[in-house]
Amino acid sequence: MPEFSPGLEGVVAAETAISEVDGANGRLIYRGGYLIEDLAAVATFEETAYLLWNGELPDKAELEALRLQMAAARKLKASAKGALSSMDPATDPMDTLRTVISAQGATKTLTKPTLDEAIALTAVVPTIVAAAHRRSKGAEPVEPRDDLGHAANLLWMMEGADAVPERVHWLDTYLVLLADHGLNASTFTARVIASTGSDLTSCVVGAIAALKGPAHGGATYAARTMLDKIGSADNADTWLRDAHAQHARFPGFGHRVYRTYDPRAKILREMAKTAAPELYTTAAHTEEVALQILHEAHPERPNATNVDFWASVVLTGVGIPKDLFTCMFATSRIAGWTAHVLESMADLRIIRPASVWKGPQPGSKPLPIGSR
Amino acid sequence: MSTQYVPGLEGIVAAQTAISLVDGANGRLVYRGYVIADLAEEMSFEEVAHLLWYGKLPTRAELDALTLELAGSRALTPAATATLNALPKDTDPMDVLRSVVSVQGVEHRLEKPTIPLAIHATASFPTILAAFHRRSLGLEPVKPRADLAQAANYLYMLNGKESPPELVRALNTYLVLLADHGMNASTFTARVIASTDSDLASCLVGAIGALKGPAHGGAPSQVMDQLELIGTPENAEPWMREARKRKVRFMGFGHRVYRVYDPRAKILKAMCERMNPDFFALASKVEEIALRILHEEHPERPQSTNVEFYSAGVLQAIGLPKEYFTPTFASSRAAGWTAHVLEQVANNRLIRPQSEYVGPEPHKPVPLAERG
Repeated sequence: MPEFSPGLEGVVAAETAISEVDGANGRLIYRGGYLIEDLAAVATFEETAYLLWNGELPDKAELEALRLQMAAARKLKASAKGALSSMDPATDPMDTLRTVISAQGATKTLTKPTLDEAIALTAVVPTIVAAAHRRSKGAEPVEPRDDLGHAANLLWMMEGADAVPERVHWLDTYLVLLADHGLNASTFTARVIASTGSDLTSCVVGAIAALKGPAHGGATYAARTMLDKIGSADNADTWLRDAHAQHARFPGFGHRVYRTYDPRAKILREMAKTAAPELYTTAAHTEEVALQILHEAHPERPNATNVDFWASVVLTGVGIPKDLFTCMFATSRIAGWTAHVLESMADLRIIRPASVWKGPQPGSKPLPIGSR
Repeated sequence: MSTQYVPGLEGIVAAQTAISLVDGANGRLVYRGYVIADLAEEMSFEEVAHLLWYGKLPTRAELDALTLELAGSRALTPAATATLNALPKDTDPMDVLRSVVSVQGVEHRLEKPTIPLAIHATASFPTILAAFHRRSLGLEPVKPRADLAQAANYLYMLNGKESPPELVRALNTYLVLLADHGMNASTFTARVIASTDSDLASCLVGAIGALKGPAHGGAPSQVMDQLELIGTPENAEPWMREARKRKVRFMGFGHRVYRVYDPRAKILKAMCERMNPDFFALASKVEEIALRILHEEHPERPQSTNVEFYSAGVLQAIGLPKEYFTPTFASSRAAGWTAHVLEQVANNRLIRPQSEYVGPEPHKPVPLAERG
């Protein structure tokens, strides 16, 4: 039996054609063989989702069909609405999403994951996120519109007003960039759940649950919180050196796979200049100092800025409140989760790793309760 | 360095654990050092849950304290009750459990998992299941009773009256037997989710989603379905030989880890013989034929009967409807899931394996206008 590799680091747990994180060369490749920077320049979220699900970019007719199908799947079922309205408006929106999508996907009997179901679940996430947001503000949910794209409709449902095209474009690009990323913890969770023959909603609920963790999807929120604490560019040096002296981790820096600058971070950094010029200044200086400190501490480590850092700045520029950052991540990544589950269906084998026993020598007889 | 891709992570060590050991070669299941056969008919579910959570069997005072805490944590939150009531009456109880456990946990947001939270969550499973079962029958829920232990109270809430001691005892033994089982797919799911620093409810909803799969916990009701199709002991051989020609899988046989008879199946088989003679007459004949046919086909494979086969007969004798077999499994395994989450969190590292890219080499995407 191979040795225990904590965190399964370096262990290959799946073969996939959905995406490839080429950490050594700082490349992210999406299905079909497209580099993320090439794709982000030409494709919308819907086109990207189509690509991840079907293996090729859609033509105009295929894209139109997908748009219609997604627009028609944006409404919540009565049971999901019931679950949503039962929840305290102050609930963590990721918990609301986890619960309401579970209710939305609840069925009478077990069904095998299908592409139609992947499309429907992906389409309904913004409805839940926007409703959770409006409820937290004491406002009524806004019904989805079927004439808007995925990103535009999300902003519409959050705000009840049309967003300017720039904001829609920034959000849409963010959604393209985050849609898949190899075998990260939430995608892996979805694949483990799928491997038991379970249904697609169970896979998505589990993935949301994993994404919620601060060591995974919660890092965007943490990065923005750090920027809030730093406050301004001239405070970055003092704040970061203090934090480092207290052994605090810098959210938004470091990644297990990339050994060079994360290509998504590069695109987001560029967008941040126009999307959030003020925060960009603070963030750029923070990045410079953080990388310097991390390099001094561990010259051997490639401590590159990761996607969470610059995503937090761009989402701020879009006008997304930071308590919805992880939900935005889920809104995008569900395309990847479902694509991975559908891919795994072709050769389903239960994922059941081994463990090493570290407990007491087996076989001692339990004492009766009176003698313990 | 990456290791080679191992489908299903078979033989790959994903964790070190002191909670349970599946000693497949010797057909032993060990909880914290104790062999299952020494615990099964002696201990209450509460004692075993204490063992799994705290690493030792409780003294009388510790057991009383745990019993009290479990009993005090059985009520559902108003949001959980409302969500439960919003779901259609014919919803799969596993989907109900996934949704309501999700909402029941929201007040803990991103709290680090603790034993009190584990107790709180484990206590709520029977309440959810009993309330939904009664709702599906058009009956009002029955309030939990603090003077009854986990097994007795579950049956009380399901039926609205106390059950005979032998049924309570049988359910208790079932709950003890199923409470943990090494690094199975649902437990592994819970640990992957915990590894992102997510919360306990998130770990549990993921685990429930994984357990739902027919290749994991979703099979006991299928055992029942298959036995119903076979009908009589005389029909076993002709039916099964014919079914095999159509590549029908025999439900309740085979396990990746055990190479000899599953020790839990042995105990459940003896219970079935006592409690459910009609089931036993048919099932033992089906078992005999199944093992014979499977041996003829694959003499090299250890085709032993697994825990789900005789679980079905025991749970039927206890009076549970078959849709409640897997959720009742979940109500037991919640103890193991939460114990594993606590162990993972105590020595955490993000579980993020690698994947092997099998897609095309990078090339440029064609813009939408030029596609088709």
